[in-house]
Amino acid sequence: MNPRFQSLMPADAPAEGACVRIERPEPGMARLVLDPPHRKLAVLDLALMRDLERALDVLATDDGLRALVVCGREPTSFAAGADLEALVRIEDQALARELGRYGQSVFQKLAALPAFKVAAVGGPVPGGAFELALACDRIVLADHPSSRIGLPEVLLGILPGWGGSQRLPQRIGVPAALEAILAGRLYDPRRALRTGLVDRLTWPEYLLRVAGEIASGRMRCTRFERGAWSWIVDRNPLARAIIRRKVTAEVMKKTRGHYPAPLAVIPLVLAAPSTPIEQGLEREADALARLMVSVECKNLVTIFRLSEDAKRLGKLPDGGSARELRQIGVVGAGVMGAGIASVAASKGVDVRLADVERGPLDKALLAHRAAVEKDARRRRAPRSESNAAIDRLSVGTGLAGFNACELVIEAVAERLEVKIKVLGELAQGLAPDAVLATNTSSLSVDAIAAGVSGPERVVGMHFFNPVPQMPLVEIVRGAKTSPEVLHAVARLALKMGKTPVITGDRPGFVVNRLLGPYLDEAARLFEAGVAPERIDQAARDFGLPMGPLELLDEVGFDIAAHAAASLEQAFGRRMQCSELLKRLVDAGLRGKKTGAGFYVHSAAARDGVRVVNPDVARMRPPASGVVTDFGEQVMLDYMLMAMLNEAAFALEEGLIAGPRELDLATVFGMGFPPFRGGLLRWADSLGARDVLGRLQRIAAAPDILARSNGSERFKAAPLLRRLAESNGKFHAAGA
Amino acid sequence: MGGDEPPERKPNEPKAAPAQPSPEPAPPIHQQAPVQQPVAPVAPVAPAAAQAAAPSLDPHPEPLPAPAIHAARARPRCVIAAGLRLPQARAGGAFKREDAGHLGAVVARELLARAGVRGAQIDEVIVGCVGPPQDQANVGRVLALRAGVPQSVPARTIGRNCASGMDAVTSACALIEAGRGDLFLCVGVEVMSQYPLTYGPQMTAMFERLSRAKSVLEKVGALASFRPQFLAPRVALMEGLTDPVSGMIMGRTAELLARDFSITREAADTFACESHRRAARARDSGRLGREIVPHLPLGAKPGDSSLQHDDGIRDGQSVEGLAKLKPYFEKPDGIVTVGNSCGITDGATALLISTPERARELGLAPLAEIRSWAWAGLDPSRMGLGPVFSSAIALEQAGIAVGDLDAIEINEAFAAQVLACAQAFASDAFAREHLGRSSRLGELDPSLLNKNGGAIALGHPVGASGARLLLTVAHELAVVDGELGLASLCIGGGQGGAVVLERSAR
Repeated sequence: MNPRFQSLMPADAPAEGACVRIERPEPGMARLVLDPPHRKLAVLDLALMRDLERALDVLATDDGLRALVVCGREPTSFAAGADLEALVRIEDQALARELGRYGQSVFQKLAALPAFKVAAVGGPVPGGAFELALACDRIVLADHPSSRIGLPEVLLGILPGWGGSQRLPQRIGVPAALEAILAGRLYDPRRALRTGLVDRLTWPEYLLRVAGEIASGRMRCTRFERGAWSWIVDRNPLARAIIRRKVTAEVMKKTRGHYPAPLAVIPLVLAAPSTPIEQGLEREADALARLMVSVECKNLVTIFRLSEDAKRLGKLPDGGSARELRQIGVVGAGVMGAGIASVAASKGVDVRLADVERGPLDKALLAHRAAVEKDARRRRAPRSESNAAIDRLSVGTGLAGFNACELVIEAVAERLEVKIKVLGELAQGLAPDAVLATNTSSLSVDAIAAGVSGPERVVGMHFFNPVPQMPLVEIVRGAKTSPEVLHAVARLALKMGKTPVITGDRPGFVVNRLLGPYLDEAARLFEAGVAPERIDQAARDFGLPMGPLELLDEVGFDIAAHAAASLEQAFGRRMQCSELLKRLVDAGLRGKKTGAGFYVHSAAARDGVRVVNPDVARMRPPASGVVTDFGEQVMLDYMLMAMLNEAAFALEEGLIAGPRELDLATVFGMGFPPFRGGLLRWADSLGARDVLGRLQRIAAAPDILARSNGSERFKAAPLLRRLAESNGKFHAAGA
Repeated sequence: MGGDEPPERKPNEPKAAPAQPSPEPAPPIHQQAPVQQPVAPVAPVAPAAAQAAAPSLDPHPEPLPAPAIHAARARPRCVIAAGLRLPQARAGGAFKREDAGHLGAVVARELLARAGVRGAQIDEVIVGCVGPPQDQANVGRVLALRAGVPQSVPARTIGRNCASGMDAVTSACALIEAGRGDLFLCVGVEVMSQYPLTYGPQMTAMFERLSRAKSVLEKVGALASFRPQFLAPRVALMEGLTDPVSGMIMGRTAELLARDFSITREAADTFACESHRRAARARDSGRLGREIVPHLPLGAKPGDSSLQHDDGIRDGQSVEGLAKLKPYFEKPDGIVTVGNSCGITDGATALLISTPERARELGLAPLAEIRSWAWAGLDPSRMGLGPVFSSAIALEQAGIAVGDLDAIEINEAFAAQVLACAQAFASDAFAREHLGRSSRLGELDPSLLNKNGGAIALGHPVGASGARLLLTVAHELAVVDGELGLASLCIGGGQGGAVVLERSAR
């Protein structure tokens, strides 16, 4: 092994040879067992690769070996891909290439063994683990709910670099391989078999036996074959040219060119069937090395690890498991309440949904059934599963039927007295340890808790609209909220498939507080005469999923104005916002829900054609006399620096645990571009001095000074100033 | 059990008699109870009240009876601890995309939620259903699991035709009396919309031949035996409503009673019209709302809203309108029309059957106590008189007379059949000849009989009706502040079922 790899070796690596075991179940057959003592689930780190290579060298000298089974320590525990810790540490492209070549060479040694090789895999088999299996002659997968197999590397900004980009297309053909690798999808057993990722399914209990029988030739197992299609498509230059154009266009549309990995995958996969493997591997290693040291890769891996870390919130700080909330109630069947109830019921929680009237309940039921059935069709889930998801949501007018709930989330009108009344009434009928959660976005959790007996069980659970799509939940810690309650609620959020982040109890929490100045700047740009499409285009070009004015249309002007008012009340002049939204609401415009906001939302406009609402342009105030030429960069600076400055304030207040959590909240809560690693990581990439300089330039701009609150918003936060002075970063080195 | 069992072996005797022998029946405990309008735990009076009314969890003010008294009692008492039903929908209408497992699960889940009872506390789930879907042979088990009752709680489906829902309740009572549990979830459910059409025997035989055929020639031979008439379906609904022993469809048994008791077309139509009028009044006054929880059926489309009430009630139904209909079963002289018969209907009712002590532990104020119950057998071709035979036994066991009743429900399978029952109740001759009594049971007060309308207006989801009648009587006792009620129905195949309810002491 290359001595330069020593720096990438895990710190707790065991002695050489400890990670891989060779078993000899019968003459002529060997079993290669991945069983690293330092990992719960094997990871293809350098210690394991080193031992795998050693074991393969031993087996290569065994002339009597006719059958080989590669397996994990358990039928449903094989290995979890490459070592992300090592991945983020690599800064040197040459080293990255050597690492890629090394992995390829180990797997090549496996492929070159003359014995008949069968991979017996199960549980999660992502990335490198699947590439290891691909080097075998047959793949047998355990038919178990935990089994997932695929090549998700692209999601981390790299590509399958240990032979995957070559062997998968050779196995299942170019179109299917492109789909699998570009989407980074992990396949369940049935789909894996249908697509040809594996050759055979069997019960976990039979996995080793079946794999052994196949390896020894006693059991037939034909390999997935595409037959003539491989000649018509994979080796046909014309077909490949068509595929290349179509797929490239699709990727560009989806990524706007911000993500280099998918673009690097396409030519590799297309060429794979007609390239000798050694040449293909060389090219693969080149591409991998380029991607591995890219900023995008580092940022994507960081976000992935942040979201993995967030899962720890579902456990108590001492590692014990948090309370499981199996039966919950939701009060208020508006868009939010109905969404929360539907998602929870779909994920296996018994839900009781209440409202004062039957109408919204009927709507909620209809939406839930439609969502469950759509999801079941997409996943081809059995009928019994969707039936159960539909059954788990029961509804009723009034609070009857809530007494057995272990948690109640209120999603009623955003008025303090209403919320206190509802939670107070609920508190009487519920068990004393039942959790009371509020989905408020603008009220104080403490104020709500003050009206309820047992404030330690009151917590904020702020979902985002639309609930099924938005991955973040802000869990708001009140002054008296107990840690047990906090983690129980985080566990529920995780069960609902959401990523929790714990925030303090201040208006807007984290996401809405940061969105406030950002959206207001966008509204002011519009007031100053910039066309809505230009503002939104600038944001999308930056990598945001939608522009700020489009977002305002989605949220609704009334709700946005309400949130802005509460921010202004709490944070003063810095948050003072333009009168535009209020005027729009007064004029009857409220965004998408009324059919018209900044854009017209009609059936015709839904087909991707964006039509600016002519009425809204008339709502601009008469020209103030100060005219500035707004280039794309200037507009972005206005919006993003306002947000960033506010983030510095929030961070210093201790509103959120740290910069990592804040970055996670920006990526999952507002769609801040993941390839930029989150708001603060992006700021770090600019440098604090640069950020400060931009803030000062904006603060001095004449149009800003002309505002009623002047340049208050762009006066740099103390934290930013200190960082600029010390040339420091939000994220400490190595974090 | 049939009506021919010797009286001393009847399951329900006046409850105090063995323990406290006295010349008169022991004073019922309920007479000491404060007489006041009770608050139904699961069906508030008005929608406005429903929003605020959570089931009271206050412990019962009275202390639990001392164990000595409890042990001295001959057998445990049974109560309807809580109950609820869905609106009943005409078949092929609102609930046509439902299946029995789902419909029953909805009402069961709602009942458990409102009563604050956890599924694990239930001893068994007993479900009455006449025609379970083919893919849900034990629909009771399907229903229980879909309602969120834990897997460890057993469930069964029982059938006694139209009385299946009532049989679920009396089965629970029998188990409670035998000491085999004290909390049962009883459901009556029927989705008649989903009764299948099946192939006849010839078509079935052809398919069988085809599946056994090995060579192509054999297969062609099997297919060649096909005749177009094989395609004529067997209609499960019609076959289900026909008694195979007497060979009579139910409507014809009603025609027979009309002839026996000289019931005219006008009388039947007037009765049917009154059923609609009473049901409409009960709906509008919120009386029916006490027992109904709205339901948004499967297959509802965006914009649809839930069904709030039984949709078979025809507002402004006139006798003249009914008179225009042709006899359905026996033309031209018959009197039974679709207008004076019950409709084919989908519906579900759920009841929690328990003991007073257990109900109190659970924080439930029972709707009514089950004072006595009886099943009786009779001539299948005159099955419509079943209520008379079974009520005679049940009333005797309870030690009460017809005049003591404050609420009476006789299921309206057919107007002619209910009118025949009323005559038989009031006839000395009938009592002597058929009931072994010296005098008549007593005249039924027409104003008390089916006071809120009956199956002619509300519909008759066969497996559910028995449970629905019990729920209706229990609520009616509370509404009129009465003491005793009777729920009874006739059963295809020649049986009758009757349950005497007593307003619970509280």
